Amino acid sequence: MSDLLPPEPVGEEPRAAAATYETASGRLEAIIRRLDSGEAGLRETLDLCREGRELVEFCAAELEAVGAGLEELRLEELVGRLEAGRSG
Amino acid sequence: MPEATRPHGIPGSVLRGPFPVGQYAAALRDRLRGMVRVQVFGEVVGFKAGRAKVWWELRDGSGALPCSMWRRDWDALGLAGLADGVQVVAAGGPDFYAGSRTSSPGFSFAVGDVRVAGEGDLLAQLAVLRRKLEAEGRFEPQKRLARPVLPRGIGVVTGEGGKARDDILAGLRRRGWAGRLVWAFAPVQDRHAAGAITRALQDLAALDEVDVVIVARGGGSLMDLFAFCDETLCRTVSMLRVPVVASVGHHTDRTLIDDVAAVSCSTPTHAAEAAVPVHCADARERLHGLGARLHAQGRRAVLERARTLAGLSRAPASHVERHRTWLHQQLREVRASATRGVAQRGHGLDAAAAALARGGDARTLGTRRRAELDRLGQLLAAHDPQRTLERGYALVEGPGGEPVGSAAAARSLPRVTLRLHDGTVDARPVEDTG
Repeated sequence: MSDLLPPEPVGEEPRAAAATYETASGRLEAIIRRLDSGEAGLRETLDLCREGRELVEFCAAELEAVGAGLEELRLEELVGRLEAGRSG
Repeated sequence: MPEATRPHGIPGSVLRGPFPVGQYAAALRDRLRGMVRVQVFGEVVGFKAGRAKVWWELRDGSGALPCSMWRRDWDALGLAGLADGVQVVAAGGPDFYAGSRTSSPGFSFAVGDVRVAGEGDLLAQLAVLRRKLEAEGRFEPQKRLARPVLPRGIGVVTGEGGKARDDILAGLRRRGWAGRLVWAFAPVQDRHAAGAITRALQDLAALDEVDVVIVARGGGSLMDLFAFCDETLCRTVSMLRVPVVASVGHHTDRTLIDDVAAVSCSTPTHAAEAAVPVHCADARERLHGLGARLHAQGRRAVLERARTLAGLSRAPASHVERHRTWLHQQLREVRASATRGVAQRGHGLDAAAAALARGGDARTLGTRRRAELDRLGQLLAAHDPQRTLERGYALVEGPGGEPVGSAAAARSLPRVTLRLHDGTVDARPVEDTG
């Protein structure tokens, strides 16, 4: 039967590999739900709180990055800047 | 038809006949079908489709032809239908349906092939290309891409100086988004613009700084939008790893890029909002709330446990306190009873003194008590293990001096001590080889 299934996608996923705002915020919501359930022990609670604090910081940084002020530039400018950065 | 029923002809007429009408109709049909086949063009009026055939009239300023086409030939063309006024070229020849006693005859221009001309021609080509791309699955890849809810960088392909630019900025402002916006201006007016749009899209998608690309155009006539129906452009979009949000066509004239893109929006403002699904101000507020809840949960968890621990640590102290009270009570009672005891014993001594004084048998009493003690002593000695050892038995003890009561227990120990009546001997159990 397994040959009926399409092969697993392989190869690099450069954009999916990094932590993203959606994965971070999703995990944060899950942590809060777990803590609210009251089922977590002390060790788990402290671990979740630590992880949660890191996620809050990450999400805050992501929001900060798109809240600092609109930066408008033309494609040619950006490409030129990147090329200058690469050669310099 | 039997020859006998043929009526006489019209007196004086020089024409041949009379012929049975069915015979003549069949001959007419054959004659018409034998005519040379041609292409005719004109405007379509009254297109209708039946189960076996489709019909319409082809008209121009000086005349008209009823046209018919077999339904299967029509379906093979892949055209949805023909609106009134659409210019078409029809290829075919005249045909005649001879009818019967119960059905009416009919003349039509039997069409074998149709080409839609003018703007309709482009629409027809578009329909064909749309079906082709869809059949190849080119509409799907973009829809499967994960779209970031909070992109850091957005690329935009649009015409420079167009209204779309302001609309996009308004949409992003509405989202509270103020990240990096990379503009790739390209001509968006005609079908020759397709190459420039394709290159702009590829260049933007190649940048790590760009998480999503908007392709926008503030509307225009269908002819203007044909650049966005270019096959190469649409294939390129379908292969990009970056999601493309399209805002090109109208709801009436949907372009092909609207089909292949991850999302298609009716206006550039909506496209901007689709590119940033999160409302940043709300997200900040929510994150703040989540952070506070997290802090409260952590604090509560520690405080609750600290309270429990404090309670637990108080418990032994209170237990000791209760025990101390109880002991004091006991002490007081003991003192009280001791006082009473001395007083009673005082009475006893007085009585004994009286007995002695009476020269009573106090000595006899003492001898009896000694004999009783000796008897108890012998009973006790009978249970003394030392006595057993003296009789030649040995006691097996573990490393802690505890008695080893079974062979299994002895085997489990690395060494044991044999206690004999005159001392101890260390011994090491060995496995019974017998």
